[in-house]
Amino acid sequence: MIVAENLTRRFGDRIAVENLSLEIAEGEVFGFLGPNGAGKTTTVRMLAGLLAPSSGRAIVAGVDVVAQPQRVRTLVGILPEHPGLYEKLSAWHNLKFYADLYELPSPHTQIEKYLRLLGLWERRHDPVGTFSKGMKQKLAIARALLHEPKVLFLDEPTSGLDPEAAKTVRDFIAQLASEKRTIFLCTHNLYEAEQLCTRIGLIKQRLIKIGAPASLKRELYGRQIVIDLKEPLVLSEDPHLPFVRSVQRDGRRLLIELDDPEQHNPALIKKLVELGAQIQFVREQSRTLEEVYLDLIAEERQ
Amino acid sequence: MKRTWVVMRKEWREAFRGGKTIWIGTIAIPLILLGASLFQLFSLSDLHAVSPEELPQVVGVLFLVPLLYFMMFPLVIPHQIAIYAIMSEKEQKSLEPLLATPLRTSELFLAKMLASVLPALLITWAAFALFLAVIQALLPANVLEIAWQQFGSLWLMALGLFAPLAATFMTLASMAIATRVSDLRTAQLFSSFAMLPILLSMFFLVFRQMLGRPALLGGLCAALLVLDVGLLWVNVKLFHREEILTRWR
Repeated sequence: MIVAENLTRRFGDRIAVENLSLEIAEGEVFGFLGPNGAGKTTTVRMLAGLLAPSSGRAIVAGVDVVAQPQRVRTLVGILPEHPGLYEKLSAWHNLKFYADLYELPSPHTQIEKYLRLLGLWERRHDPVGTFSKGMKQKLAIARALLHEPKVLFLDEPTSGLDPEAAKTVRDFIAQLASEKRTIFLCTHNLYEAEQLCTRIGLIKQRLIKIGAPASLKRELYGRQIVIDLKEPLVLSEDPHLPFVRSVQRDGRRLLIELDDPEQHNPALIKKLVELGAQIQFVREQSRTLEEVYLDLIAEERQ
Repeated sequence: MKRTWVVMRKEWREAFRGGKTIWIGTIAIPLILLGASLFQLFSLSDLHAVSPEELPQVVGVLFLVPLLYFMMFPLVIPHQIAIYAIMSEKEQKSLEPLLATPLRTSELFLAKMLASVLPALLITWAAFALFLAVIQALLPANVLEIAWQQFGSLWLMALGLFAPLAATFMTLASMAIATRVSDLRTAQLFSSFAMLPILLSMFFLVFRQMLGRPALLGGLCAALLVLDVGLLWVNVKLFHREEILTRWR
């Protein structure tokens, strides 16, 4: 659904995005992470037909963004960082304006559908300036969906929202994903990215890493098993097991790195018991996406 | 063209909910100028008492200043709407979602321009029609005929040529200024400065009693045409999608 090849954008001497190549399949929720100024918004603008790339190419929903940017804009929906609503106009008039710009055949049906879906129907005649931040964000999402786009670009959709409003928006994004829409999600919220995204890409001017959250963690840290013992283990012999990559001891706790815990845990535990270990708990060490993100960004800085 | 109309409708709906300054600029000031024009006619001389021989001379004096007032309409009215059309988009950060639609920047520019120029012209012409109707209704029947003989070509030139050129000038100047400043009051201030040279030229012509010369008014129109072409060029440069997204702050 989205293919970018060596996409580059310069502003004067400054390179905002450099040689970005990626492919996103239909129905995928792709998380785009990176520090402030990393080029996330510029990438979205290029893919949505708002900014022309300095070099490289991109195909979005089967349309070349350089050759037919206006056509691309009819096929994608965008939720920018700021909702950008007309505060003096009502929710209805905000959506009606956009429905007319997209020349929708049945604007009233579409407006009603999304206002009801997002719980704003009762407030449709109120000026948007009287809405809470969460309501404005929901209205901006409704605006982005009004023309039923195949691809949706969401830039920080839950930024600045209270936890309840953020959860509502996240649930709605998950619902959109279940409708097989392709979602390109820029976020600083790593919990959100982990919850919603099938794959994530880390950018800092150029693409640093791309992959599913679980595979990125595995790639970076391997898989670690935490074993809590009743007593510290005093080994009379070294437990040589070919599948163990490393062992760390911390008092009554063992941290063992394995390639395939599902396959090798039974043999590992059997061996430890034979060596006299009194095992209380066995669990997999969970790494957060935040750790992955911070380590990769730190690595990039070095 | 359909999307241009959609944006224009939005501009008007938004502008007239935008507060007092829009209402003052588009309705209150024109009403004051219209009132001043009529006051000029009815207070300075009792035309019912003027002899038929003297009437052409008196009409010639009395109708000159109202012409100045009507020439101020197309300068005053578009000023606030044009600033608001740009500043409100900037303040509400609504340009990015707007530019993400199939709307072309040429359509956006045309909509913003016409949303200011059209009301300015319609209000100017409507006010002038009202002015003529009041004269016809309340003054001796031949006053309008005499005034038309003396000022007909000048009125046509002022309302048919000067008014569109002046409204376009004020709109384009205000839009260009609004794209480059980040604050509404600064935009209003600089935009008012843009109006000054035209106003001063008009006052100069009135006080030197030269406004009644079509050739001089034609010269003013020619100067405005040159300025309009220059400002159009500037605005076309400013209304590029990338320029709007990255430079309009």
